Amino acid sequence: MANNRGAQRYRTLQYVVLLAAVVILGRLFYVQIIDDQYKAKAEANIMRVDTEYPMRGEVLDRRGEYLIRSRVCYDVMVVTRDIPKEGFDSVRLATILNIPMEKLRRELRRAGPASRRPHLVVGYLSQEAKLIFDESDFKGFYTRFRTAREYPRQVGGNLLGYVSEVNDNHIKWDYYAIGDYIGIGGIESAYETMLRGEKGVSYYAKDTRGAIVGSYKNGELDVLPIKGTQLTSTIDARLQEFAERLMVGKVGAVVAIEPATGEILVMVSSPTYNPDLMVGRQRNQNFLEMTRNQQQPQFTRALKEHYAPGSTFKLVQGLVALEEGILHPSDKHPCSQGFTYGVGKNSRTLKCHNHDSPLNLRRAVAESCNSYFCYVFKDIITNPKYGNIKEGMRCWTEYVKSFGFGERLGCDLYGESKGFVPTTEFYDKGYNGRWNWGTVISCAIGQGEMACTPLQMANLAAIIANRGYYITPHIIKAIDGRDSIDSRFYERHHTMVSSRNYQPIIDGMWLSVNDDGTSRLAKLDGWDVCGKTGTAEHNRRDASGKRYPDHSTFISFAPKDNPKIAISVYVEHGGFGSDVAVPIASLIEELYLTDTIQRQEMLQKVLDYKINYGYYDAKQRKYDQQHPKK
Amino acid sequence: MLSQFNTSTGYQVSQKQGSLFGRIDMVAVGLYLALVVIGIVSIISASYDPEMENIFSLSHNYMKQIIWAGIALVFAVVILLIDRRYIHMFSYPLYVIGILSLIAVLIFGVKVNGAKAWFEFGSVRMQPVEFVKIATALMVARVMSDFSFNINRVRDLFKVAMVILIPLIIIVLQNDTGSGLVLCSFLFVFIREGLTKYIYFPLIFSVLLFIASFIFTPEAIFITLLILFTIYSLLKSGDVVGHVRFLAVVSLVTLLLVIFTPLSGYAALMIVCGIAAVVLGAVAIKLRAMVLLWPIIMFVYAMLFVPTCDVLFSKLQPHQQDRILTFVGVKSDPQGIDYNVNQSLIAIGSGGAFGKGYLKGTQTTYGYLPEKHTDFIFCTPGEEGGFLGASVVVILYIALILRLMRMGERIKEPFGRVYCYSVAAILLFHVWVNIGMTIGLMPVMGIPLPLMSYGGSSLLASTILIMIAIRLDASTEDESVYMG
Repeated sequence: MANNRGAQRYRTLQYVVLLAAVVILGRLFYVQIIDDQYKAKAEANIMRVDTEYPMRGEVLDRRGEYLIRSRVCYDVMVVTRDIPKEGFDSVRLATILNIPMEKLRRELRRAGPASRRPHLVVGYLSQEAKLIFDESDFKGFYTRFRTAREYPRQVGGNLLGYVSEVNDNHIKWDYYAIGDYIGIGGIESAYETMLRGEKGVSYYAKDTRGAIVGSYKNGELDVLPIKGTQLTSTIDARLQEFAERLMVGKVGAVVAIEPATGEILVMVSSPTYNPDLMVGRQRNQNFLEMTRNQQQPQFTRALKEHYAPGSTFKLVQGLVALEEGILHPSDKHPCSQGFTYGVGKNSRTLKCHNHDSPLNLRRAVAESCNSYFCYVFKDIITNPKYGNIKEGMRCWTEYVKSFGFGERLGCDLYGESKGFVPTTEFYDKGYNGRWNWGTVISCAIGQGEMACTPLQMANLAAIIANRGYYITPHIIKAIDGRDSIDSRFYERHHTMVSSRNYQPIIDGMWLSVNDDGTSRLAKLDGWDVCGKTGTAEHNRRDASGKRYPDHSTFISFAPKDNPKIAISVYVEHGGFGSDVAVPIASLIEELYLTDTIQRQEMLQKVLDYKINYGYYDAKQRKYDQQHPKK
Repeated sequence: MLSQFNTSTGYQVSQKQGSLFGRIDMVAVGLYLALVVIGIVSIISASYDPEMENIFSLSHNYMKQIIWAGIALVFAVVILLIDRRYIHMFSYPLYVIGILSLIAVLIFGVKVNGAKAWFEFGSVRMQPVEFVKIATALMVARVMSDFSFNINRVRDLFKVAMVILIPLIIIVLQNDTGSGLVLCSFLFVFIREGLTKYIYFPLIFSVLLFIASFIFTPEAIFITLLILFTIYSLLKSGDVVGHVRFLAVVSLVTLLLVIFTPLSGYAALMIVCGIAAVVLGAVAIKLRAMVLLWPIIMFVYAMLFVPTCDVLFSKLQPHQQDRILTFVGVKSDPQGIDYNVNQSLIAIGSGGAFGKGYLKGTQTTYGYLPEKHTDFIFCTPGEEGGFLGASVVVILYIALILRLMRMGERIKEPFGRVYCYSVAAILLFHVWVNIGMTIGLMPVMGIPLPLMSYGGSSLLASTILIMIAIRLDASTEDESVYMG
């Protein structure tokens, strides 16, 4: 009886033991086989994933010298959790890193107490300092390989762009993570995907104290970084440096293009800045100072600013009229120091300077006669062939757009502006449908609503040099030594004007330079230089309502046959085109074509040329008042 | 007389003959050896460092453990050669020595991990509580095998309870609650020896309620109990309509109370269930329906017990609450919330089905786990052997426990049976709590995994514990008769 009971209890207790086993095994099954979270956690637990940053690609100029070079430097990182509790020699660390104690303390505070997340203490540690740092073995601190930019000629700040740490917006894109660098502006941004290379990854095994105990799985999972691609720019560094020197103290832009290829030889947006300012520990401060400057050194005027083309645009009027067959090169129009239009009290006069009258097309170009091109423009848009002025205007717009105006050219740099070519619809809207040729006559001389970028003006020079076509201007000619740039930079874009109609205009431009025209300062012995000045009006007025001086502009190409360089110079408030834009362009052409500067006198004059930027000074004063320096 | 009983019940009792070696249960010895070997192998892995020099240096944990295993083997052989009469004889003095050593350690011992439970002799540390387990097991066996002993007689129950409570209290005073609670596992033995369910059932029920009151809200506990008891009563009576009606009335009245009175849902449920319990209880007594009465009594008991726990607990100072939480095994966690358990779960969980391979565990090798070679040694087979390795370890332990129980059953006198059951119970408790805590089933209590965890006293004590059981099982008929 008793044993019977014992046997029963034995059985029950066996079940209890088995139940315990089943519960444990069930839980093990769940934890080890069903639930995946622990595997991921285990990985995170024992690994430190370090991004290995590649060397950023370098950029050569067209002659093979370095425009942008990369040099090795190091970021100093901290993982505050791994700092020993007993502390470390912070004075010594600050000395090695060459930072004030205050900064070190501030960064440690920002990193947060006992944080696992790596925090950047300071960047741009030199290789020598890194060696000293490594010897000291500060627990919790480590260095990260980085590259910094170097600029042998220290030119083209706003053309080349700069490299900066990514911000929150960049991180939303693929590829980028906190701490990565990204190219901002200019070439750095346009060719970011090539320059950046490919990040690598290293996995390190670590113990609980965060100390690295070796590479994880013998580095099986590691990915080596791939160096950024080397690019060859179309820029001529020497010429760029020279052009920037000429533009010092002037606000405006210079763009030079090789007509046959569309390669941009020079692109100056003045004022610019020394790109070295955007590298190193002072960069934030430099950057802030730059943003305060109302002349906007970071603004790439050459690509973005809308300028009135002024008289340089007369070339286009002439070409369109010739193509339309309503103008013969020998046609003459009178000019009595202006062009009068309208009736009675509504009559107005568009002024012109004093010159012989009447002139034929070639001389009109050489003398830059306003009246002549007013007649020409009027003839184009009131051409009876089109029935009415609206259709005429539509036709004109189409012609002008074929010269690359009013649309982005498609340059490889980002941020190009479209410019503006007025259309029938635009005037219909602006004048409620009631407008006539007199209303829009300022288009004749590249004023009024017409707006274009310095790049588009240089492109116009290239089109005329090429007698009727252009290749999209671009800034990179070879990628990794091979000319594998986008195919669009090999295509010819023909204008709607056939090439035979270019000759009279080119003759006019030649006369302008070589036969006592407005561009005579551009004459270069032994070279057939062609050019066209412009003196562009604008609407910038001072407090008293008086206009600031006109913009000085000039487009040119040389030599006349087989042109090697096409150039546009635009100097804000520079006065007459011939005053400052012509000598600047001419000197650049001289250096490019002859490799020397013979006209030292002219060079000195340009360098000494002072322009009073009342407009920007007023803006700056206002800004400084509203945003006092801290 | 005994053999008559055996034949009449028809369950197997081995009649062992021949040499001592032939009578030793080789299955139990094999299981024992397997676990010790797995333990050493695991300790090697847990202490493994790829850049380790001089692998045979005695400074390594595993070398120490191997030496301890050697010493344990010597003890095992000696114990197997001892005449079992001495074992019986030594029960009293061993128990007294054990108690005295506990008191001594309370006064002269050193503190390790907050528990003043260690003697230090030079570089060797001993934990007397490990040996007290043996002494207590022997003492319990001795007391319970008295000819006149009846577990359900108050005087005898008190006597055996005191045998357990005296060391338990001293161990708790040492701040080594985990080890103290091991002694509670003797309830397992008492149940085998016929402890009436009127004692053990309320005990287990109270303990479960006590633990549940820390984990779940009272509402959850009551609703669960209400449903469980209703199902139980339904299964016993078969009256579906009546029970549905009962639940419907309770829910409806509770709902009405919640809507039309300011009472909370909990209070309303309490009131309704209280009234229902009184009414049903009265009906059950009138009908003499004990089936109905028991659940009602348990439910009322729970209704009083859980809030009492809660109220008493909330009246305490925070540091006292902490102490109680520590007492029930919810240790305060210096490194953040459940750091140890998280790390051990990560180690075991990342093992997958077949593990990462021997010495290839990352969590145990790179030092994420505290106590990886002592209390958390199970993580090593768990990580490196995966579900397969962990299951093998669990199955070996369960097999050893079941084997010990079976040995107890076939020993024909109570001393051996009670002793074997005691060993099985102690092992079960250790395995359940230790493995349970590594996989998040149990709170962290500082008790080792017997035979596997690094530690000389633990290994030696576990060896002696098991070897005595094997020796008792290997006794001849003659010896048994003599003893009986």
